[in-house]
Amino acid sequence: MALSKRPGPPRPRNGASASGSRLWTWLMIPGTLWMTGFLIASLVLVAALAFGTTDPLGNPQFGLNFDNIAAMADPAYRAVLLRSLGYALLTCVICLVVAYPVAYAIALHGGRFKNLLIAAIVVPFFANYLVRMYGWSVVLSDDGPLLRALRATGLADGDTKILQTGPGVVAGLVYGFIVFMIIPLYAALERMDVSLIEAGRDLYGGPLRTFFYVTLPATRQGAAAGCVLVFLPAMGDFVSAQLMGGPDQIMIGNLIQDKFFQGQNWPLGSALTMLMMAVLFLGMLGYLRRTRKDEAEAAR
Amino acid sequence: MTLRPAIRPVRRPDIRPAPRRTRSSALPAGQQGRKRHRRGTDRRPRFALAVTVAFFALLYYLPIGVVVLFSFNSQKSLTVFKDFSLRWYSAFFDDDVLLASLGMSLRVSLVAMAGSLILGVALALGLVRCRSRLGSLAGLVMLVPLITPEIVTGVAAMLLFKGMGITLSSGTVMLAEITFSISYVTVILRSRIAALNPEVEEAAMDLGATRWQSLRLVTLPALLPSILASAVLVFALVFDDFVLAYFTTGVDPQPLSVRIYSAIRFGVQPTINAVGTLMLAGSIGLIALALAIPRLFGRRGGLDLLSGK
Repeated sequence: MALSKRPGPPRPRNGASASGSRLWTWLMIPGTLWMTGFLIASLVLVAALAFGTTDPLGNPQFGLNFDNIAAMADPAYRAVLLRSLGYALLTCVICLVVAYPVAYAIALHGGRFKNLLIAAIVVPFFANYLVRMYGWSVVLSDDGPLLRALRATGLADGDTKILQTGPGVVAGLVYGFIVFMIIPLYAALERMDVSLIEAGRDLYGGPLRTFFYVTLPATRQGAAAGCVLVFLPAMGDFVSAQLMGGPDQIMIGNLIQDKFFQGQNWPLGSALTMLMMAVLFLGMLGYLRRTRKDEAEAAR
Repeated sequence: MTLRPAIRPVRRPDIRPAPRRTRSSALPAGQQGRKRHRRGTDRRPRFALAVTVAFFALLYYLPIGVVVLFSFNSQKSLTVFKDFSLRWYSAFFDDDVLLASLGMSLRVSLVAMAGSLILGVALALGLVRCRSRLGSLAGLVMLVPLITPEIVTGVAAMLLFKGMGITLSSGTVMLAEITFSISYVTVILRSRIAALNPEVEEAAMDLGATRWQSLRLVTLPALLPSILASAVLVFALVFDDFVLAYFTTGVDPQPLSVRIYSAIRFGVQPTINAVGTLMLAGSIGLIALALAIPRLFGRRGGLDLLSGK
């Protein structure tokens, strides 16, 4: 059944379409109400509680109190926020460096195995996040396969640790979210006009030069999209820091989790959540401005 | 199924770069014609291929392989594999707490799948066909879960339920998971609906069908493969979801992934390897099914996992 998209502007609506338009609106209403009722309302609640307090019994109270916001200036929180930012950024960079060659090889040299290879990347990614992280922590553990191999080759001595360190946390984040980088890069490389690369070679560009002057700029938007898609969940993650890091490697997600479960200080937890959202929002704004500029340039 | 991006590059065989005047042109004429891959450059990028092989072998499948391997270990150790044994699987099937969690995860996934399909299919149809201001607003609301870290939606859902005085239980997990899954269903179906030709519906109406009949008898059957694929995908995603379930679940029983989380935190139990292996097998099977469904129906286009973003 070939139902292809009809090009051109929508046809002028006749009577039948007008009644249809009412049906479409009705179809949209339950989902929209549901999303507004559960999602938007709950996010507003978090924002409101950030200005609340706790009563002496520890119950959260709404109010207009800026103590929690002021508490965000605390150096301890600032250190955690900066660490989260640093880990998330580092994760983006490592993901980009690892994912690019993988996406490149699959998109441009995958041949008839291209779809199979992409499926081999996408499918396990949907498998349970915790189980994958747990397997990764076993691989990285002190007598796990990775360190044993490194010791056997003399690249690491007996004291080298990966778990309970910052690099361990970043390794966890990279493993957890690298797919978000591969997919947009793959899509960008697939879409790219390969004759540009050949033209670069024809102009006597070496492989590296061609890559940095032709391929990379042509896939810049895919890379930017991948960075956003990796950065967002990496900032909010608390499993990696818990499994791969020690108590001094906590990220902002661990703080939030702690305030809601152990500390039972929900207003402070809400304030931390809002702080994280603010940072991510700024990042998103930067990304949107960047892509808009790119699009404007492309349109010229 | 299509794993290809929606926009395919246009190949124009008549516009080709001029033959290179490099070393290759010194070759005898027979070897001079460059071997063209169907798509790609002529030079094998050794570096990229090496990274790809290392990525698959060392990074991507190693952790999964370790879990699967040690689920069959006869010993408790996670570093030394002794003999093949199924004792951790039988330990799982003897563990009433874990089985209760499995049951709850299955119930939650089924309910979330049904709920998000009903709301999501209707929403996607409305979003594509209705060009009103409400439509663009609804389109924005729908994107919120996709650009918010899960911990935020988890915290927010927990606060909402507690604020309304609802005791956290499997019911709250279901509500939260439905909210989250609507976005997936809508994103997947939107592009498929946009690709349908509304004139077919109009033809049905010209033949006497009502708007509702044409939707039920023409549009929905055409969308069936995509709807089934997203149903399977949502089931797998909800079953495996941890963060949202963690924040919205009550005490007992807890969803399987939450149970695994506490088991991992408080000392390693090899039973987790067996549970993990079963879950991996289950979700990999489901995702493969979701990807294969459109092909089973003999149609292209179901799960555009790549072109959404």
